[in-house]
Amino acid sequence: MKDGYQLIASTTDVAQGKTLCLQLDGREILLCHAKEGFFAIDNLCTHAEARLSEGKLKGCKILCPLHGAAFDVRDGSVLTRPARTPLASYPLRIEGEQIYVLTEATNA
Amino acid sequence: MRVHNQVAQGMTKKSSLEPGTARAQGPATRDVLLTDKHAAPSPLLEESPQFLGDEDIPFERYTSQDYFDREMKSLWPRTWQWACREEHLADTGDVQVYDIGRYSIIITRVDEDTIKAYLNTCTHRGTRLLDGEGSHYSQGFTCPFHGWSWHLDGAIRNIPGRWDFPHVTDATHGLQEVLCQRWGGFVFINMDRDAQPLEAYLGVMTEHFDAFPLDRRRIKLHVQKRLPANWKAAQEAFMEAYHNFETHDSPHGANAQYDIFGKYVSRFIHNLGSYSPQALSDYPGDKWRDPPMTEQEMLAGLAVEGRTLAEGETAREVAAQTIRENLGAELGVDLSATSDSIILDSIEYHLFPNMFFFPGIVVPMVYRFRPNGMDVDSCIFDLMLMEPLPDDEEHPEPPEPIHLSVEQSYTEVEELAWLAPVYDEDTGNLQLQTQGFKNAFKGMTLGNYQESRIRRIYLTQEEFMQQAEERS
Repeated sequence: MKDGYQLIASTTDVAQGKTLCLQLDGREILLCHAKEGFFAIDNLCTHAEARLSEGKLKGCKILCPLHGAAFDVRDGSVLTRPARTPLASYPLRIEGEQIYVLTEATNA
Repeated sequence: MRVHNQVAQGMTKKSSLEPGTARAQGPATRDVLLTDKHAAPSPLLEESPQFLGDEDIPFERYTSQDYFDREMKSLWPRTWQWACREEHLADTGDVQVYDIGRYSIIITRVDEDTIKAYLNTCTHRGTRLLDGEGSHYSQGFTCPFHGWSWHLDGAIRNIPGRWDFPHVTDATHGLQEVLCQRWGGFVFINMDRDAQPLEAYLGVMTEHFDAFPLDRRRIKLHVQKRLPANWKAAQEAFMEAYHNFETHDSPHGANAQYDIFGKYVSRFIHNLGSYSPQALSDYPGDKWRDPPMTEQEMLAGLAVEGRTLAEGETAREVAAQTIRENLGAELGVDLSATSDSIILDSIEYHLFPNMFFFPGIVVPMVYRFRPNGMDVDSCIFDLMLMEPLPDDEEHPEPPEPIHLSVEQSYTEVEELAWLAPVYDEDTGNLQLQTQGFKNAFKGMTLGNYQESRIRRIYLTQEEFMQQAEERS
């Protein structure tokens, strides 16, 4: 797709309240389906690099299973310590059932 | 003994009755319940008024740092308090962090049958383990300082450089467990490991709520707001309906019923769709009294539009039936046997020190008031709307709380609908009251009946803290 967006998943691949870990350009991206919509962030916690895909999505909050850091999946911002650095967040474009991502992160 | 028929004449003058026996004029709440078409369950027909004294209560209780510090030492670490709902902990590894003043508790589902609670503190050098309050998820706990870790059951999982800690065992350095018991779908904690069991503490509530259980409710909405008042002043704004006339411009509640059940539980019941014009006899103006509202007007007040009452029909029975049918269908819940009172009325049980449970359908709230960190003059008000859950459905994932600051209005939460302005009115007096607390020659005066629940909490808290201080 033009403008650098790549097809990564279908909207039916991940139920609301769930996440899906995807490999893309050598990095792990976590696709999150919240009530507010679909969002894509880095899968590795910025604190100690635990996999957020092994944590849980609650509302718009992704919970790290290792030290309990939490991030807002909408923009990758830190919600609780011990993390201090925001997660990279990736713009999505949804056309029909197809989800496209731009891997130039907005705040990496 | 039923005392409300002993109507005091000339309520502006000092009553000639024994203190605490006077009641508002006109029909009492129980009289209304007894005429309901769908009969109220027996706990709602009990009356248990108590006269507990009429001395002023010092405002220092709400403003003093010393009193707040006593609460931190002798109240919060000693009392039962609900921390979350069971559905917050649906899966093994679901975690809730509950903060109360300087204390923080981890509550987690260890397995299908077991929920445990621990102090949120590393047993090595004391670091707080999980930062944010609310939901977390993990198959264990790891301290961010030196990486000590524990299993969900609190046993040590790993200590890096174990050779240096031959003096450390599970018995000495497992997570520090606190009491954790469940009732009505709520998970309660108590930091006092010698506390009486929760069931005994709940008193009449276990039996009463058998008639209107809360475990088959789901959290429809959770709003958590900061309020500019001491936690006790804030909760006391919700403990009587005496303020309804002035604060909410409403006739309902002037004849509300107030019950005291032992030291820890109290209740009010105030009717919707019915009120006593006589109870307003010495309130300013003629509004709602001369002429009184018609049944048709009261029906409109209950948002039942386009339905003309037939001869002999009451607003209460028609509103209850309309809600029974419409809301029952909307929620997929059979409300056919649910009483008019449970459908319509504001029925509020309070559990010491800071918890409120409403078994109603139109008024289905749960409240919790607690200090905002270590600030005497502000608090956190958790408000949850608890919707009936269809019999064949499992609890859905509960919504995350919506946070409102002191300055924000409840009207920013669309789902609150008609309740939003009511909560703005209820909380709108608090800043003024807190200012007034610090600008007075005298203390707080309470009505002997309508404000008896506030005095009950005051007396219980004084006794509770004194006993704790004697023990320590």
